[in-house]
Amino acid sequence: MNEFKISFRESGKIHVMELKGYLDAHTAPNLEEAFQKLVNAKKFNILVNCKDLAYISSAGLGVFMAFIEDIRTSGGDIKMSNMTPKVYNIFDLLGFPMLYEIFSDEHEAVKKFDAKKQSSK
Amino acid sequence: MKFRKLLTLTGSVLLFAAVFIIDATMKSLDSDLGNFFYVRGALIILAFILTSFYIEADRRERQPTMIQRIGRVAAWAGLFVSLSIIVSLLRFNEFETRAFRLFPRDYITILFSSVLSIAAGAFAAITVLNIKDMLLYKRKKGTQRNFWILLIFFFLASATTLNLRPLEPSVYTTVFFVLSVAMIIINSFRLSWIAYLSRREKIYAMLYALLAFFAFMAINILLSISDRPFLAKALLYFSYPLHTFVQLTSLFGAVYFGMSFISTLFHLPTAEAFDRKQTELSSLHNLSRLITQVFDLNELAETVTKMTFEVCEASSSWLEVFPNDTGEKSAGRADGIVSYRNISPEDIQTILFGDTNSIRSLVFSSKRVLLIDDVSTDRRTKYISKLKKVGSLLVVPLVSHQNLIGILYATKQMDFGFDQDDIDVLSGFADQVTIAIENATLIKKSLEKERLQRELLLAQEMQKRLLPQTLPTFSTLEMRAVSAPALEVGGDYYDIALLDEHRVGIVIGDVSGKGVGAAFYMAEMKGIFQSLSKIHASPKQFLVKANESLLSSLDKRSFISLIYAVLDVVTGDLVVSRAGHCPMLYATSSSIKYITPTGMGLGLSGGKLFEDSLEEKRIVMKEGDICVFYTDGVTESRSASGEEFGYERLMKVVEEKRLSSAEEIKEEIIQRVWSYTDAQGYDDDLTVFVVKWIGAH
Repeated sequence: MNEFKISFRESGKIHVMELKGYLDAHTAPNLEEAFQKLVNAKKFNILVNCKDLAYISSAGLGVFMAFIEDIRTSGGDIKMSNMTPKVYNIFDLLGFPMLYEIFSDEHEAVKKFDAKKQSSK
Repeated sequence: MKFRKLLTLTGSVLLFAAVFIIDATMKSLDSDLGNFFYVRGALIILAFILTSFYIEADRRERQPTMIQRIGRVAAWAGLFVSLSIIVSLLRFNEFETRAFRLFPRDYITILFSSVLSIAAGAFAAITVLNIKDMLLYKRKKGTQRNFWILLIFFFLASATTLNLRPLEPSVYTTVFFVLSVAMIIINSFRLSWIAYLSRREKIYAMLYALLAFFAFMAINILLSISDRPFLAKALLYFSYPLHTFVQLTSLFGAVYFGMSFISTLFHLPTAEAFDRKQTELSSLHNLSRLITQVFDLNELAETVTKMTFEVCEASSSWLEVFPNDTGEKSAGRADGIVSYRNISPEDIQTILFGDTNSIRSLVFSSKRVLLIDDVSTDRRTKYISKLKKVGSLLVVPLVSHQNLIGILYATKQMDFGFDQDDIDVLSGFADQVTIAIENATLIKKSLEKERLQRELLLAQEMQKRLLPQTLPTFSTLEMRAVSAPALEVGGDYYDIALLDEHRVGIVIGDVSGKGVGAAFYMAEMKGIFQSLSKIHASPKQFLVKANESLLSSLDKRSFISLIYAVLDVVTGDLVVSRAGHCPMLYATSSSIKYITPTGMGLGLSGGKLFEDSLEEKRIVMKEGDICVFYTDGVTESRSASGEEFGYERLMKVVEEKRLSSAEEIKEEIIQRVWSYTDAQGYDDDLTVFVVKWIGAH
């Protein structure tokens, strides 16, 4: 069994989720649970750091789709960063870059979140 | 067997008749037998041996129980004593005594004494044979030996009198008589059959034993008193050895049945406990048998309440079973009651849910046996004290792996109705019941699983039929496809449609996720493809329309990746559009590359965003050109070390096999992927579609 781990971090008002390992049909429910927890706590500004994510299957990609609509209508967003080229390729093939903001570095993503907040104030 | 019985009976009757004729003749001649006396003795012994054979054969056929045995001996003894006493009272002073010998005064005396003696002999044989069986019940090493020693002493004591005149005393006789008595006492301690009688049977045994004891004592007295009654004289006249044997036998009978009576009396107080143990044992045995036989929970529950009822003589009992270990959920309603006996559902409802702190909830939290000795005064059962029928209450939880799977209840009308024994029995019983219920549940589950397995196989069969059974053939190109789901059903899809006379639409796709859910979306995709592909000429247009259809029916987290190519089979003109799917591999004589028009997966987004993401790419296939469509099961198959098969390897395989046929290329890809993933197998659906242009001939 390939392992999959999620760790949480706060970066200012942004909630950073770090994914590690293989995200497939078996481990997708873990990610779903993690998202649900954040949404329940009304933490809508979510940044997913994919630095250590080795693989993502269609079931894993589906989890992002399950939450994005609710999060965006609640004024938040899911952004992603630090993908390896291989993982980025999977996201890219499916057209995710057209649906999500994907950054090469976490700082840029945080900046983008902050910029949006500034403008909305 | 019948014939032998008849033969022995006839033989003994004839022999006894012969003896009677001899006696009558002697009387008429008024003479002594002389040496002929021994011949007469031998005839009598032979007659009794035949009688014994007859009795034994008869007993074998009947196979009596212990109680029947004692009863029969007692009956025979009583009958014989009554007969002897009546005859003795009617006839006296019938013999003359001369020189230690008895002479009958008339012929009728000879007849009477003969008949009575034969009856005595037969009765002695019945007694000895029956006692033998009782002695040998649960025999130990010495049991049989002791019995034979006793019998030998009996015969020896009798034999010493063979050559004696009836009234002549003998030292040897006294010696063997004393030895016989010693053996009688030793043998009389073999009473193990008593322990195995039920309480009821013991009472009967006591009664019969007492009756037999008195009858045998009476015979003893008749044979021993100095003022010899008719029975004693008759036996002495008929045969002195027989007199001795009958006397010893009746002594044996008196001692043995006397002992039997006393022993049974002492066993009586424990008889109830013994009975209970026996019922308990047979109940547990029955239940163990049930476990292997009854798979129906209701039938099992019926038996359980019935046995609870019997085992501890309860006045009512019922069984509650919780489905899926979620007993707490059904709180407030007695829908877990699978069986009840001698109590109304309303009363059960009151007992279980009449109070928030009901005994049921107490057992729920403690999972321990709960005994209420007096329902009317116990603090915990105040709420049911109005139920007159319930005096005491025993509640036994059925616990399996720390889970409460059910509760068994038993009540008695009287207060303090249950003792420690009942608790022990019912606890042991509960363990068996737990296993039985678990078994029944498991079997039900496995049947259910089997049914689902069958449904799934059916689904697999159906899904296979959703894929094209055969691909159309064209003179200008070869097409080969294969699809293998990882589970019973999968989300991979490929299809082909003839759009007009010279154009075919080739589609290959992958529904996100796996299993039955994916299979349903795949079926929907098939419907959309077959209907929309013929209407919308360009691949891009088709994908936009397909997306519109799917958006409303796909759930949020599901999407479908698709690649769609429209190929002109005459010109080799190929237009391809991609919706999130793996790129098409395109090999020509000079180059090999992936063709990746942009485009996002179906069901991710609607409207302009989706439409704008789509691109169309156009190539013209030449002779020897190859297009390979596939799903991510190919590129994402992992080796044991976790490395993916990847795009590079796929490209290399096709490059190596560029000159081979479409069939060979397809096979090679599959083989390479499978050998790459090695023993661990592939864990994703896998589909490959190969098109090779062979040109116009």
